[in-house]
Amino acid sequence: MPFPVSNLTENGGDRDQRQIYDRVNETQLIARVIAGDRLAGRTLYDTHAPRVYSLAYRLSGDAEKAREFTQDTFIRAFSRLSQFRGDAAFSTWLHRIVVTVVSNARRSELRMAREVLLDEAHSIEFSAPEAEPDLKECIARAVDNLSDAYRMTLIMHDIEGYTHAEIAGILGVPEGTCKSRLSAARAQLREKLAAFRE
Amino acid sequence: MDENRFDDVLQDLPRSFNAPPEPPLDEMWTVIEDAHFNAPVPISATRGMTSPAPWLAAAAALIIGIGVGRYLPRGGNLPGNAASPTAIATNPASATSDTSAVADAYRDQTTRYLGQAAALLVSLPAKDANGRTDAAFASKATDLLVTTRLLIDSPAAVQDPKLHSLLEDLELVLVQIARLRSERNRGDLDLIHQAVEQGDVLSRLNSAVATNQSSD
Repeated sequence: MPFPVSNLTENGGDRDQRQIYDRVNETQLIARVIAGDRLAGRTLYDTHAPRVYSLAYRLSGDAEKAREFTQDTFIRAFSRLSQFRGDAAFSTWLHRIVVTVVSNARRSELRMAREVLLDEAHSIEFSAPEAEPDLKECIARAVDNLSDAYRMTLIMHDIEGYTHAEIAGILGVPEGTCKSRLSAARAQLREKLAAFRE
Repeated sequence: MDENRFDDVLQDLPRSFNAPPEPPLDEMWTVIEDAHFNAPVPISATRGMTSPAPWLAAAAALIIGIGVGRYLPRGGNLPGNAASPTAIATNPASATSDTSAVADAYRDQTTRYLGQAAALLVSLPAKDANGRTDAAFASKATDLLVTTRLLIDSPAAVQDPKLHSLLEDLELVLVQIARLRSERNRGDLDLIHQAVEQGDVLSRLNSAVATNQSSD
C-alpha cells in the first residue's frame, strides 16, 4: 500500500488528517475512498466540487438544481470509483458524469415542458404583449435556445474557461468537432442578438 | 448589434450569464456522505468481491455459466479455448464459430436478465406501498444486482457500449431498490421512479430486449 493506514488513523483529529490528505496524490486519495475512508472522500470532494457546482449552475441557471446535480454527480462518481481506471484525468471523468446528469435532467424537463405547452395550446388566451426584454434576458434566451451540444460547448469554453482539449475529453468528441461547435454556437448567438437595439 | 459590441457581450458572458453563487459545500457534502458512506448496501466499490451475499454472486455466476454452456454447440470449445491462438491457428473457422456461439449464449442470457429487470421496474410499487412489498422488491433487486455486476464485465456488455451504459444505469436503480429493506429508505421510491424516468431506463430496456430478440 503506498500510503500507510496507521499513519492516518494515529494522527489526532479530522483537521490533522485533512492536512495530510491535502498532500496525498489523487490516485492514493481515490484508493482511500474506495476503501471507505470518508475523510479522503471529503478531500476529493473539496478539490472538485466548486468547479462541478459552477458548471452545473451555469448549465441549469438554478441554485437548487445545481445543488442536486452536484450531489448526484458525486454520489454516482463515488459509487463507480472502482471502475475509474485512470485512462483520463479524474476531473475529466467526473465532469463527464455531471454533463450526463445535467443533460438527462434537461431532456426530461424539455419533454415535460412540451407536454405542458400542448395542454395549454387548447386553452390559449390573448394577453398583453410582454415588455421589451433587456440585453441580459436576450442573451440568456439566446444561449438557452442553442442546441445542447452548442450550448454546452459555449458555456464550457467561453464562460467557464475550459480548454478545447478538456471539453473534447469530457464530451467524448474530437477537438476539431469542439472548435467547430463553438464557432457555430457563436455564429448563432450573434445572429440571434443582431436584432437587439440598446 | 455590431461586431465590436458582440465581442464585448462574449467577453462579459462569465459575469452576465448565470453567474454562480458561492457553492453550499458543507450542505451538499452531508447528503453525499449520507448516501455513499452511510448506505446499508455497499456500492460498486465492492463489485464481485463482497456483494450483498457472497453465495449469491457464486450462484449467479454459476447460473450464467450453465446458461452459456447450454447454448454452446456440442463439442465446442470453452470460451477461453475459443480465443486461444493455438485453436485459431489450427482451425480458424471453428474458432470463429465458437466465439460467435459464446456471444450468442451471452446475448440470450442477457436478454432473459433484461426481461426480468424490466418486469421488476414495471411492477415497482408507488410510494404508498407497504413495507412487505418493498422487502420483496428489495430482495429481487439484490438478486438482479449481482447478475448486473457480472454482466457489466461480460463480453456481451464489453462489446456493446449501449448495453454497458444501460447496465450501469440499471445498477444504480437496483442499488436504490435493494436499499428499500431499510426502514429509513422507504421514502426513496419517488427518487427511484425519478431515476428510472430520467435515465429513460424502461424504454432502453425494452428496446435492448427487442434488439436482442430480433437478432436471434
